[in-house]
Amino acid sequence: MSQKINLRVWLKIPDAEAATVKNTLIRRLGFGKVLADVKKERLFSIEVDSGDPQEMARAFAKELVNENKESHIALIDELLFEEGYVPVKVALHIEDGEAISIRERLRSRLGFENVVDVKKATIWKLYFKTLKPEAEAAAREIAEKLLINPHKDTYEIMT
Amino acid sequence: MKIAVMQFPGTNCEFETLVAVKTVGMDGELFRWNRSAGELSGFDGFVIPGGFSYQDRLRAGVIASKEPVMNALKEEAIKGKPIIGICNGFQILVESGLLPGSVNGSGKVDMALAQNVMVSQGKIVRRGYYCDWVNLRHDAPSKRCSASFIIERGALLKVPIAHGEGNLVTTTPGLIEKLNEESQVVFRYCDKNGRIINEFPFNVNGSTESIAAICNEQGNVLGMMPHPERAFFAWQLPAFDPRKQRPDEPGPGRRVFQSMKRYIEVNA
Amino acid sequence: MKIIGLSDPEVEASLRNAGIGMSVAEARSIAEVLGRDPTLTELFCYDAMWSEHCSYKSSRATLKEFLPTDGPNVVMGPVEDSGIVAIDERWCVVISHESHNHPSQILPNEGAATGIGGIVRDVNCMGATVIATADPLRFGNPYGSKASKVRWVAEGVVDGIWQYGNALGVPNMGGDIVFNDSFDDNCLVNVVSIGIVQRDQIIRSRAPPLAGERGYDVILIGKPTDASGLGGVTFASEALREEDEETNRGAVQIPDPFLKNVLFKANADLFSLTREEGIEIGFKDLGGGGFTCATSEMGSAGGFGMEINLDDMHKADDFPAEVLSIAETQERFLIVSPPELREKILKIYNEDWDLPNVYEGARASVVGKINTGDRFTVSYKGEIVCDVPIQHLTQGIRYQREEKERIISLAEPEMPEPEDYNEVLLKILSSPNIASREHVYRYYDTEVMGNAVIRPGEADAGLIAPVRGEKFGVALAVDSNPFYGRISPYWGGATAVAEAMRNVAAIGAVPSTLTDCLNYGNPEKPEAFWEFREGVKGLAESCKKLYLKGYEDQQLPVPIVSGNVSFYNESPQGSVDPSPVVACVGIMKDFSKAITMELKAAGDKLFLIGPRFDELGGSEYYRTILGVTGANVPIVRFDLERNMIYAVIDAIEEGLLAAAHDISNGGLAASVAEMALTRPAKFGVELDLDNVQGSDNGMRTDKILFSESSGFVLEAKPGKEARLVELLKSYNLEPMLIGKVSNKRRIVMSRAGNAVADLELDGARNAWTTGLAEAMR
Repeated sequence: MSQKINLRVWLKIPDAEAATVKNTLIRRLGFGKVLADVKKERLFSIEVDSGDPQEMARAFAKELVNENKESHIALIDELLFEEGYVPVKVALHIEDGEAISIRERLRSRLGFENVVDVKKATIWKLYFKTLKPEAEAAAREIAEKLLINPHKDTYEIMT
Repeated sequence: MKIAVMQFPGTNCEFETLVAVKTVGMDGELFRWNRSAGELSGFDGFVIPGGFSYQDRLRAGVIASKEPVMNALKEEAIKGKPIIGICNGFQILVESGLLPGSVNGSGKVDMALAQNVMVSQGKIVRRGYYCDWVNLRHDAPSKRCSASFIIERGALLKVPIAHGEGNLVTTTPGLIEKLNEESQVVFRYCDKNGRIINEFPFNVNGSTESIAAICNEQGNVLGMMPHPERAFFAWQLPAFDPRKQRPDEPGPGRRVFQSMKRYIEVNA
Repeated sequence: MKIIGLSDPEVEASLRNAGIGMSVAEARSIAEVLGRDPTLTELFCYDAMWSEHCSYKSSRATLKEFLPTDGPNVVMGPVEDSGIVAIDERWCVVISHESHNHPSQILPNEGAATGIGGIVRDVNCMGATVIATADPLRFGNPYGSKASKVRWVAEGVVDGIWQYGNALGVPNMGGDIVFNDSFDDNCLVNVVSIGIVQRDQIIRSRAPPLAGERGYDVILIGKPTDASGLGGVTFASEALREEDEETNRGAVQIPDPFLKNVLFKANADLFSLTREEGIEIGFKDLGGGGFTCATSEMGSAGGFGMEINLDDMHKADDFPAEVLSIAETQERFLIVSPPELREKILKIYNEDWDLPNVYEGARASVVGKINTGDRFTVSYKGEIVCDVPIQHLTQGIRYQREEKERIISLAEPEMPEPEDYNEVLLKILSSPNIASREHVYRYYDTEVMGNAVIRPGEADAGLIAPVRGEKFGVALAVDSNPFYGRISPYWGGATAVAEAMRNVAAIGAVPSTLTDCLNYGNPEKPEAFWEFREGVKGLAESCKKLYLKGYEDQQLPVPIVSGNVSFYNESPQGSVDPSPVVACVGIMKDFSKAITMELKAAGDKLFLIGPRFDELGGSEYYRTILGVTGANVPIVRFDLERNMIYAVIDAIEEGLLAAAHDISNGGLAASVAEMALTRPAKFGVELDLDNVQGSDNGMRTDKILFSESSGFVLEAKPGKEARLVELLKSYNLEPMLIGKVSNKRRIVMSRAGNAVADLELDGARNAWTTGLAEAMR
């Protein structure tokens, strides 16, 4: 029976990339009126075909999370987000070489042969000053104007 | 003849690029991103050099592409002035929609420079950043494009690459065909005899059809992943290239800057 | 913190609870000097300043006793962040060399990146343009019991180095990688950086004359101070235990090459401002020991006191004073400058280069004033949190450690000669310690700045032409062989110097200066301290006996102008092999005369200099093929070594050589093979071992091929053979004609008319080019 382990990983220290994205959206792309803040998470979705998922999640986190600067939560077979922001998931639609390397590393170097698949994505957490319907529309606009290059990335609003 | 060498935070090839511009006999100066964009209209041509503008945050080139100076550069491009984007400069031009430059001038982004994937015999043999000298074949006729104005079709150039995201991909239907038909593919990676072999180590980053450089329809805007400014003197060539023994001679990359100069002279 | 009147165990407990590493005796001596109980901030400041890393408390006496640091070409010896030597009347090379071992073992990517980030700051802060880095790396056994961890460390370190260096835009021009079991739990990540500066534009890391009388500003620039790296310096001075790894992770700093790139350009504007105004400033980077170290050392070096107000410091959050004082937040510098420059300086950083928009919270802030007093005074939120005698804080303390020879049992193996030399040679060529470094250096941007003349993989040293219009070139090589150090820490030190100088000479450059990064175990253990002293003696002896070329008649030593000591490279499993890592800078008057090591033309004659001795202890052959270390370690025969180095330099200067390669790991066989296998790998070789000195008296073929006795293999330019032989003989050398370059794509080695090895070139190249990638997979 296969299970999906979702690791949501975020920085404990200031996230320079999120700060730059926020700065660009507000200073350069005119979202200052609606956008309040931008945060970012990394998402690993790891499919395993056996083993105790909680235990596996701990082992994967040890490998993939840099505890010096990152925190994480593990979710088994679900992917939930808190209220208060619009989560936008950005992932490659072309072959993701890094995800393939992570799978190979988990399987061959660390011996987790029950790992079937690894996917990785970025979750952009967009905090708006506006109400939900407008916020989602603005999130789509932000994704298309900045967060993705459609020739390699896709996005999905995760609500 | 005044050339602006653009400087974004994180740019790191501006000094050697400025040397190249000046050595072929053009005036040049560094143009910092937060200077008044209006000043750009006083220049005759532009180089966006390599580096890691904004540390490649989000993806290479995208943050710089939103800076006001890029809007000003679009205006200058429409006037027909030459703009050369090298490495990160190419990435910025793609993200700003200046390259390949849609037919209707909408500024739509029509391609991406994705992570390098080195493929040999159907297998990924390496990924990511790579630095080496490569052979380029000039696939456009001379005079087609500003930065290869004096280079004959089929000419070979040895220049170095150093990048992690140079893999040209597109989902725009018919775009590659159009680029080929209109001779907008300016350079391709090839072997030392000029043969295109679409796998590593010849195609060094997995780019579609081994494309290393393209220009816009008008030919004035060119983006290239390899670094002609680092192959500007023969002594910079790798040890095994016989031209290295003649250190006072120009290197193969100099012709890109000489082309730019000639293009400006002809169009003046 | 209460100290006076408490018992030793009580003081010990409160120090440890507070996270302070100093000894009780040290704490008491501070209380005594202050005449009161020190504040928490004061104890943290002393703890950082008196750490092994900042104060060299165990090593300084030994370094002073042995190492030559002065010479006719020395512009500045090891007194500030980097050493400086002259290239010519106008230009100078600036060099610095450090370790970042412990952080890299815990968090390889950030640890190694911070290493590069720190070392380039050391060079830049002298007013120099940073032109290159190099990275001597030591990792554990990639095929041993900790292979998975070892490979994780190796991969992360290499990633950290390229991600930082490439983004910053400084080429990586050299380095080496050695794998062995002693580094399983303690990798070594040494970093070297060089820069150039004009002699009259050097900037000192001290408060300039009259700074106190005129009340100069203390200006902090760069990233907002946070809690990162807290305790990093003290942590670098303690042995690593695996169970502490989680807590140790907090000590690693977060590097940012992007901000550094912008800071370097802003610094260049600062340097030109001071030149235009004709005003001397003090400038220093913030590294180990953080804000306290940079400020107090600047003040004390100028003979002044200072007052700091932490309220004026830009910070990432509301941290306590002791954190702000010693946090090792990266990408920061400190300026001491006159008040009349204040507005101009702030404008460079805060407006022209727009630091606040480049990095959230980054900027330049005036945080204090220099005065004519002798105190280091820090206030925060209306309280004086630190008020100590500045010289007492910065001069540190000294320990005379005990030494005791480490007795190890060593024996030479008794083994029959191998039957199949092809197999032996292939095994050696694919060994992770011999194989081509291409897998790693393709990640490094060697071309940025456009200065590379000879790049990694092309020769024994890298060469850069840093100034357009000038003909001089600057060569850089690094070396240290831990296997020799294990057998003899003395010869480990001596051979490291000799080989680094040989590497530089092999391209035609004259060795000009050396740096040393001394990586050893716990100095409180007499055996480790003995190893350290032996290593320093060995280094010093080579420097003194190989002489600075051009001054050989006066027998002047090659000076060591910069260095670093890294102790506590040990875990409960043991300490690392003694590793005095040496970097050598060479100068070429005309870089276009430099040569590389790949074979140039069929028919060219190959000469060997340096007879083969039966000294295969620690050799690749003994270890990889026989599985033993052996006892007879290669030694440096100083007169022979010097003559070889000088002769090769002269031969290249005279245009007699087409290629040259020094003999080191893997011996004569590996050196010759590498010349054939290096791109473009067009030619084979035919070697006649009968002409190798050593064979006459019945030396075994395996010892001739694989002895790592010092020497060079030289490819003569056609028609220049006679002159080459004459030149070599004038240096009392016995040139041996050992073979020729051939058109057949084979590596053939014969003895008494019979081929002992005969390898097809492509197969050999495949073994040699895949060995490292396999080990790091």
